[in-house]
Amino acid sequence: MSPSVDPQANGPERNEGPSSDRGPAYWVCAFFACVAFGAAGILLCYLIGESLPALRSQGWPFLFGKDWFAGEKYGALPMIYGSAMATALALALALPFALGGAVFVSEFLPSRARLIVKSIMELLAGAPGIIYGLLGMSLLAPWIKNAFGLIDGNSLFAAGALLGIMVLPTVMTLSEDALRSVPAEYRENAISLGLTKTEVVFSVAVPQALPGIAGAVFLGLGRAMGETIAVLLVIGGIDRIPSPWYDVFSPGQSIPSKLGREAAESLGYGLHWNALMGLGLVLLLMTMAVAFAGNLFLRRSRP
Amino acid sequence: MVRRVRRSRGFLPAMIVMGLLAVWTAAPGGATEEQTVRVAGSTTVLPVVSKSADRFKVSHKGVTVTVNAGGSGVGVNDVGNGRAQIGMLSRELTREEREQFKNAGLKTHAVGRDAVACVVSSEVYSAGVKTLSKEQIRDIYLGKIGNWKDVGGPDRRIVVIDKETHRGTRHVFMQYVFGDEQARAPGARLVTGSNNEEQTKVAQSDAAIGMLSIAWINPDVVGVGIRDGDRVIQPTLATVRDGSFPISRNLNLVTAGEPRGAVKEFIDFILGPEGQKIVEESGYVAVR
Repeated sequence: MSPSVDPQANGPERNEGPSSDRGPAYWVCAFFACVAFGAAGILLCYLIGESLPALRSQGWPFLFGKDWFAGEKYGALPMIYGSAMATALALALALPFALGGAVFVSEFLPSRARLIVKSIMELLAGAPGIIYGLLGMSLLAPWIKNAFGLIDGNSLFAAGALLGIMVLPTVMTLSEDALRSVPAEYRENAISLGLTKTEVVFSVAVPQALPGIAGAVFLGLGRAMGETIAVLLVIGGIDRIPSPWYDVFSPGQSIPSKLGREAAESLGYGLHWNALMGLGLVLLLMTMAVAFAGNLFLRRSRP
Repeated sequence: MVRRVRRSRGFLPAMIVMGLLAVWTAAPGGATEEQTVRVAGSTTVLPVVSKSADRFKVSHKGVTVTVNAGGSGVGVNDVGNGRAQIGMLSRELTREEREQFKNAGLKTHAVGRDAVACVVSSEVYSAGVKTLSKEQIRDIYLGKIGNWKDVGGPDRRIVVIDKETHRGTRHVFMQYVFGDEQARAPGARLVTGSNNEEQTKVAQSDAAIGMLSIAWINPDVVGVGIRDGDRVIQPTLATVRDGSFPISRNLNLVTAGEPRGAVKEFIDFILGPEGQKIVEESGYVAVR
């Protein structure tokens, strides 16, 4: 997300044109490209192939069934619900802080302080999930238990809150990048038109940066959806949709945490394995849908 | 049009290179290496096996024993698929497992005995819940009893802790409580995996009930007596040894076919005097 690209920076050799594109570099790059495409293709084919037996034997109830009893019935709805709920909670909890933080850092902090905050945020964005998981398990879950008077803190809410904390640095730092990349002339023009600082920020910088911010949000969403270990440690691990459905203080199960708990037990064998691969396929499609929605949104918000 | 032709001509050699690479990486590596015995499975059996492995390695140079956790189901699966030579199993093989791995010819070797205790948080125990009957445990796991005051404890909701369905501890416990090793527990509030995880969750809570190997019982995680009519049987090594504690089980090692070579040596080591001493040290009852 570099702000602007200087055309001169690529040097003069760019001018030779694409006539000599059959050198060694061509073959090497073609090879790596093939491997990359091949890997993605094989992954998808393997997932579909492995999950077919489960999809065929269960039919639609695989997606809409509420009961998952290994060896008997495989209904993925509680896991799909858990993933969606935890991710939605994460987003709802993280978004105000991430966007507020991004606006503050980009528009109001002096550049020195900004650099410090940015580097800390980028460090945090790279922290492994298990670190968050440990904190969630030892601090967040007991704290949620006491704060809300629950019998136990391990719940969908704990998973959502933990995911929110996890994706906050990513969303914030990428949104901040997007805000910074709004050209200075826009701001200068706005100021010369007599707008106040607040007006400049909220009616010029933020709208201009919206595509980038949306990209940041969807990237965070993708990370939250796929996070396994941190969620596994605090979500409770019960394959059940709470009643009423919006009771997020109940335990639940997300797709990755279900896979994490049961994959080794059924590895490569039987309908149970096929059903788990089916869950994996559902998760992949969900993250792909998020990426697709992100792109769609990005395209639409461009002027 | 020209572009397209060019591109497709470049594609073929690239595919060939890729194919060669795949063949190269798939070729078997050097065959002469020191012997490795891979063990995986139940976290109940794990302390015995890993301590035995440490001492076994001292007397058997050139044999490496790797021990992984995962749970009984994982142990059976790994042996059945050839990923491990020995599986640790804190229960017997199920009919499904025998069926599934018919070709592997699974064999179990009992190396010790253990009991599964019904454990509660120490706060509950000291507030008066010293014993529970089978019926009470069943109703708690079914969700019919939801408060400790209904079984003589404090007025506090019960945090019912269930285990992953393939775990040996769960099979044995559910077999006793429900008469069905795969019984469902709609009253459960949490699902845990290993003994350590379960122990931690029960200790962390002040209102939890769970199932745990007696070797994991400690001052924070107390095993309640099982009440059967007027009789109360405490979960101790003594009642396991004399056979009176109702929820007991063999700790098994499972192999594909008769063990041979280093695998046999290692199992014999655990069944020998030194290994059986380790079984006792780990909090279980020796079989020999």
